Amino acid sequence: MRNMKREVIFRILEVLIIAIWIFPLAWMVITSLKFENEVVTRSFTFLPQNPTLHNYQEAFGSTYILQWLLNSLIISAVTMAGTFVLDAPIAYAFAKIRFPGRNILFWIVMAGMMVPFQVLIVPLYLQFNSYGIINTLTAAILPRLAMPIGIFILRQFYEGIPDALEEAAFIDGAGRLRTFVQIIMPLGKAAATTVIILAFINAWNDFLWPLIAISDSVNYTITVGIANFQGTHGTEYAMIMAGAVIASLPELVFFLIFRRKIIDGIAMTGIKG
Amino acid sequence: MAIPGNKDIRDGILFSLPFMIVFALFMIYPLIFGLYISFFKWDILGTPSFLGLQNYADLLADEKFWSSLWHTVQFVLMTTPVLLVLGFLMALLVTSKSPLRGIMETCFFVPYIFSMTVVATLWAWIMQKDFGIINQVLNILGRDGVSWLTSEKNAMWSISVATYWWTAGFNMVLFTAGIKQISKEIYESATVDGAGMLQQVIHITIPLLKPTTILCLILQIIASFNVFGQVYVMTGGGPAGSTRVLVQYIYETGFNYFRMGYSAAMSYVLFVIIMAVSVLQYVFLGRRED
Repeated sequence: MRNMKREVIFRILEVLIIAIWIFPLAWMVITSLKFENEVVTRSFTFLPQNPTLHNYQEAFGSTYILQWLLNSLIISAVTMAGTFVLDAPIAYAFAKIRFPGRNILFWIVMAGMMVPFQVLIVPLYLQFNSYGIINTLTAAILPRLAMPIGIFILRQFYEGIPDALEEAAFIDGAGRLRTFVQIIMPLGKAAATTVIILAFINAWNDFLWPLIAISDSVNYTITVGIANFQGTHGTEYAMIMAGAVIASLPELVFFLIFRRKIIDGIAMTGIKG
Repeated sequence: MAIPGNKDIRDGILFSLPFMIVFALFMIYPLIFGLYISFFKWDILGTPSFLGLQNYADLLADEKFWSSLWHTVQFVLMTTPVLLVLGFLMALLVTSKSPLRGIMETCFFVPYIFSMTVVATLWAWIMQKDFGIINQVLNILGRDGVSWLTSEKNAMWSISVATYWWTAGFNMVLFTAGIKQISKEIYESATVDGAGMLQQVIHITIPLLKPTTILCLILQIIASFNVFGQVYVMTGGGPAGSTRVLVQYIYETGFNYFRMGYSAAMSYVLFVIIMAVSVLQYVFLGRRED
């Protein structure tokens, strides 16, 4: 009986905690559904008196938000593909090919994980300025392609694949490349998914670099676009919140699809974006 | 593994090459180039002139540099302990037997999925002085609204609160993974011995989670040292520069005032600080693997 009571109290507390934690998100959506004059007033209302999608129309119509989303999607997609194409072969080399200097090379690459990105912003800017690619999506993508953590994850996984599988392929006359593409890569699908998900999260959330590398608002990524919303739209809070909701949808969908993978990936690597 | 006509050297080079080219171009080269720049007076126009260590010497005398460093340290101190405790408490809830544990895990983690600029924009609105919901509720309760983001006393705490909400779920994931590795038998025998829930947490969970705690601690300190976006969006470094952090000062020096050499020198100082923390991480992680 006493246990019953305790259980009920615990459940109520837990529901309360969940409600508090989720509330800011709910408030973002609620605000976005109000008219501006209901938001900027001292006579506070909780729920929208006349729910409206006007702010969404406004956000789509009077800002580049769709273009920003598209830019972020392009950057993320290229980063995901590029990261895998670059990381997988070298991870395989580190795991399975015995070549001189392998260990030194591995540690040089891993040391790259310790470099905080802001050390690179000035030299990268000058470098890209001299290539004439500042203010392009290419500039936003290039420095994010080399992702050492991806190599770490993939190498770990490839090392676990028994040598016998490769040997069999070699005896059948397959070369390195064919063995890698047809045997190793399919077996490493789980690790590859983790790497690609991490690449997406990093690319999508990147802020400091696109802020520097891109100057025209048409070329902004969604993170930079939203950050500058307040500067350009001042007190149009309902519209700003509508923009925030729009900006979050792709990530939310991504999260709902890959929830388990994302959480496990973080638990495995301890990578903070 | 060797293949007929051993081509390991050739293959090793060929498979490593694509990554190494990109790595050399966009990581190693800028890293060295940045250090080089830091010895120059380097504006975006005009010829760079060699200064030797003058930029570093100027840093030591730059009041703005020290205040930015101090604000960064403040932010680290304000966020790290709270984020560890929150993450740990969340992990306890998520690994409990509660039927709500799955929902709780998703709810606690979901803010982390949102990009930081969205999170910062949202909290800037929640904490807005005149019409934000916190002050509106305070008004209804007959209290005066608080200047969450516009007073020197509160601004950094307000940024910290937004950060708690944003990343506590990340630490929860690491703590949850740690707790799941602790064998159930330890808890069972503790229960047989009559240890209550709280005692089990204090005497079993916390001590056995030490490696996870150290990992979280170091990751969190590094992440907090790199703080920029929240400040940029929520206060822009204000009021009166009271929340200007180091990355922001690096950014402003380099890209608002175009003092590239000075900016690069500053970023190297931050690098050394973060490096020291990272070295600690490797020392501790190495120990954990033994």
